[in-house]
Amino acid sequence: MRMNILNQTGKYFSLLLKVFSKPERHSLYMKQTFNEIETLGVQSVGIVAVISIFMGGIITLQVAYNMSNPLLPTYLIGLGNRDTLILEFSSTILGLIMAGKIGSNITSEIGSMKVTEQIDSLEIMGVNSASYLILPKIIAVVLMFPLLYILSVFFGLIGGMIVGPAVGAVTITDYLNGIQYLFDPYYVTFSLIKCLVFGFLIASIAAFFGYTVEGGAFDVGSASTRAVVNTNIMILVWDLVLTQLLL
Amino acid sequence: MIEIKNIYKSFEQKEVLKNISKVFNKGETNLIIGRSGSGKTVLLKSIVGLHDVDQGQILYDDRDFTTMSTKLRKKLRQEMGMVFQGGALFDSLTVEENVRFPLDMFTELTLAEKQKQVDFCLERVNISDANKLSPSEISGGMKKRVAIARAIVMNPKYLFCDEPNSGLDPETSLVIDDLIHSITVDLQITTIINTHDMNSVMEIGDNILFISEGEMYWEGNRTEILHTENQKLQEFVFANKQYQRIRDDKINDL
Repeated sequence: MRMNILNQTGKYFSLLLKVFSKPERHSLYMKQTFNEIETLGVQSVGIVAVISIFMGGIITLQVAYNMSNPLLPTYLIGLGNRDTLILEFSSTILGLIMAGKIGSNITSEIGSMKVTEQIDSLEIMGVNSASYLILPKIIAVVLMFPLLYILSVFFGLIGGMIVGPAVGAVTITDYLNGIQYLFDPYYVTFSLIKCLVFGFLIASIAAFFGYTVEGGAFDVGSASTRAVVNTNIMILVWDLVLTQLLL
Repeated sequence: MIEIKNIYKSFEQKEVLKNISKVFNKGETNLIIGRSGSGKTVLLKSIVGLHDVDQGQILYDDRDFTTMSTKLRKKLRQEMGMVFQGGALFDSLTVEENVRFPLDMFTELTLAEKQKQVDFCLERVNISDANKLSPSEISGGMKKRVAIARAIVMNPKYLFCDEPNSGLDPETSLVIDDLIHSITVDLQITTIINTHDMNSVMEIGDNILFISEGEMYWEGNRTEILHTENQKLQEFVFANKQYQRIRDDKINDL
């Protein structure tokens, strides 16, 4: 078991070495990167918006429910929603969700290419398949994840602003005051750093499981599941480490 | 010309290739034949460097591929073309983009020049009006032909085909065989085909290597194969009753 983990870790880092070697043709890599930004980033905006609006509303309701003391000012509901979104939901929880959406997409795409010999075909042509297939995905996800984070915070706050006043838990004025109260911009910086790390983990771990798959369609499915599970664990581990280091 | 000398290859404890040596000639269709699981694909993948051999030499026109640096290997690979069993076309690209891919990656040609070369190769494999289709929209036989077009678009010196007829009907198989043979002769390239299809062997087998259980058992050409005394090869060739009849008829004629 321990040897297997070491073996996998070694293979992961040796794949990363291959990924970060000099590209054969920059223009093709650039084109591929824009394609990935579209597929992995832009096409995730919808799901991020939906999840964030609902979660913003739910967090607002939960904070309001727990504030049973009438002496507590209701603007704290907005503050609670804002800090939860900025610090944890829109970075970590969204990271876990994106590991499922983007990660499984990357593993299954690369894994299918592996089992249908498309990767061998690239190698025979003299193309560094790891770099050509994985580097644009890593760049795309690392670039897009902070943007998705910002969108998520925005939509989460909107969700709270809709649900809070709708159920009579807080007025719009108090909610807006709350989300501006004691705002510390470093929280955003901290979360953006987390997003860069999580983006890298999501793309690289998913690509690793896809690139090393052997067998057929069933194995691609299993690899996809393992990729999501491992990425989730690594996101939580790094969340703990970064929180301890940076906050 | 490709020469392999004393090739050995194992996966963990299992020895898959044992002491295989052979010269594959230029301008000829060189066939590696054998039963499923005999080590044909491992041998072909070892020759092209997708597997590293444990022992032995692989020489491409006297250039030793086994000791070559990664940089030189990548350069040499631009002289190779390979047709995979399933075609291995890139799903995300159209037929035309698939064929143009190596040109985009490795040449400084203008778009018009690339297009001319792509059209020439697609015409060479008798494909027209499919340029804008994706691989999922074309038949198995067409996929193989597109794969051949992509393999020859860089004017390779070496062409490798892994089971080019698998999954194809006999008529289409014949077309693919003829195509590979004529390209080999016309372009004077060294072609190695991995097959267990006896029709291919009898159609285009200029130079044949028979392997069984990872060992080299016989070498010769398509006329010699029917008169072989090799027990293992006889079992392989005459498993098909049609070839038993051909052999018996020839013997009766004599």
